[in-house]
Amino acid sequence: MLSVPYLGTEMYGMDIPEIAERISLKFVQKGCNVDRQKIEPKLRRLIEEFGVPPAEAERTVQNELFREFGIVIGPGGGGGGSEKKAIAEAVPGEWVTVEGRVVALSRPPSPAISATGVLSDESGSIRFVIWSKASAPEIRTGTWYRFESAVVDEFKGVSNLKVHSGTKVTEITHEGALIPNVRKISELSPGVGNVRAKVIQEWEANHERMLQTGLLGDETATIKFVMWKEEGKERLVPGTVYTIYYAMVDEYNGRLSLNLNTATAIPEEGDLAVSSGESHMEGALVHIAPGSGLIKRCPVEGCNRVLSRQNYCPVHEIQPKYIYDLRIKGWIDDGIKTNEVLVQREMVETLTGITLDQAQEIAENNPLGMDEVFLRIRDRVLGRYLDCGGREIDRRILANTCAFCTFNPGKHADLLNRAGGEQ
Amino acid sequence: MTPADQSRPPRRDLSFEREPARRVFASELREARVQFRDGTDEKSPSYVLLPTGERCNRVFIVGAFTEKKRQGDQNIFYRARVADPTGTFSVMAGSYQPEAMQQIARIEPPAFVAVVGKPSLYETPDGAIIVSVRAESATIVEREVRDCWVLDTAQKTLDRIDAIGKTPDSERAAQEYHIDPVVYRKMVYDALSQLKM
Repeated sequence: MLSVPYLGTEMYGMDIPEIAERISLKFVQKGCNVDRQKIEPKLRRLIEEFGVPPAEAERTVQNELFREFGIVIGPGGGGGGSEKKAIAEAVPGEWVTVEGRVVALSRPPSPAISATGVLSDESGSIRFVIWSKASAPEIRTGTWYRFESAVVDEFKGVSNLKVHSGTKVTEITHEGALIPNVRKISELSPGVGNVRAKVIQEWEANHERMLQTGLLGDETATIKFVMWKEEGKERLVPGTVYTIYYAMVDEYNGRLSLNLNTATAIPEEGDLAVSSGESHMEGALVHIAPGSGLIKRCPVEGCNRVLSRQNYCPVHEIQPKYIYDLRIKGWIDDGIKTNEVLVQREMVETLTGITLDQAQEIAENNPLGMDEVFLRIRDRVLGRYLDCGGREIDRRILANTCAFCTFNPGKHADLLNRAGGEQ
Repeated sequence: MTPADQSRPPRRDLSFEREPARRVFASELREARVQFRDGTDEKSPSYVLLPTGERCNRVFIVGAFTEKKRQGDQNIFYRARVADPTGTFSVMAGSYQPEAMQQIARIEPPAFVAVVGKPSLYETPDGAIIVSVRAESATIVEREVRDCWVLDTAQKTLDRIDAIGKTPDSERAAQEYHIDPVVYRKMVYDALSQLKM
């Protein structure tokens, strides 16, 4: 709900005629004739006798009159949000009136919603949701609309324009073209985004409704993308560069991903030097997380998820014929920053000298079972300096090289000079 | 998209960030006298301000585990001493650090250990201030890890000395500690000199 700031009655006492004027104007615009002489006493009574804040009194009187004239408005409507705003300035919690072009529509997730999509003006883009109850006109892509008294709220960290029964949606004409601002992947924030990127990986879809998922990259970073099955949606071609307009940028657990169902992806000529995503870090392994050591994976093809102790896969339930694997999940720390690191089996075997077969044997012949493997691996790698390289996704390094650091006499000599040189 | 969009901080910064483990020699940490919280929340991280001018919520130390003492009856905890080339760290682990406590219980001195932990300041009944490290883990390591740590810590300490006056934390430290950088350079030099050439 819109919160009404209380500004004090004394100050506003003299504004009562002004408020009355404002209200009557609104009704005149809608073609209703109201008597200003009837509005003023109502306001005065609320403000002076009942100490109602003027803004709230204005809203109350206005709603009363709306009802009287049979004008349907949403809760709190009319109290604000009749001034046109730039889309980029719409802040959650506000009632706004915006004008923009519907640049994308996506399939409504529920019958209670008649349309969802993206609305854009020169300042930016925002996602919108039109409730079925709003009885808004049919929305077409590419057309400009005025959304009067819509509510901006926040859902999963993303601003969203809600069109309810009090919102007036009208088709308008607009001069001038709309040029979306294409940004770098590293600059994206939750909401709506435009990028120029290359499809660098295609992953196996892990849901029957999923059309495609994988990784997009540009010079600055990489980001996961997903596309759900929907009429007219086509897969992206791996290795191709696309300019992608109006993708939904979602956030989950602090990681961003792109939902391309609202997006238009235009294939481009040429190539893009994609950030390899490779990073390199030398530091101490300061923590080994649970889930390291000997683990069991789901055997269903393409799943490979880690099973719980009870052999339970979050998707495929109980899987007694699991596959064993070895890995280390931990934190590598160079004293300035700390990064999560994931080390795969081959490197765990080299670092610890424990092979997967040996780990299985340890687990089967030891009262502590898999915990014993965890402890032995921990004792061999925790607190050591490691040199890890690999793809970095959202500050997690998926190591494809990982080795213990050794003492570097050259560095020793340099540091001695540095420490002693300036004395 | 717009300047308004760009000024909005990226949301991923709001998510949890693990505090890095600082590298500091024992004789510097021993001199720390300022502890503060970043924020008013009970869960805001607590920092010890290092004399060379950096806040420090966590440390990574490697040294010789020379002594351990089991204390307490109901609430057992361990106190241990870990020596580096410049001095001694006081390390403790109680029932709130079960992993570290079990590890320390099994370590027999002398041994090289790597300790990850959180430093904090305590005042003794006679008014002296003690810096102690509450261990999160303590693992026996090879001598080479200790040698790497001395290089690493020497480098980080010199970096901090070079940044004095250039960061807000170092300006604050300058007011609190009035250190002489020459003394700290000498400490680093001496630590490095003790390694085999």
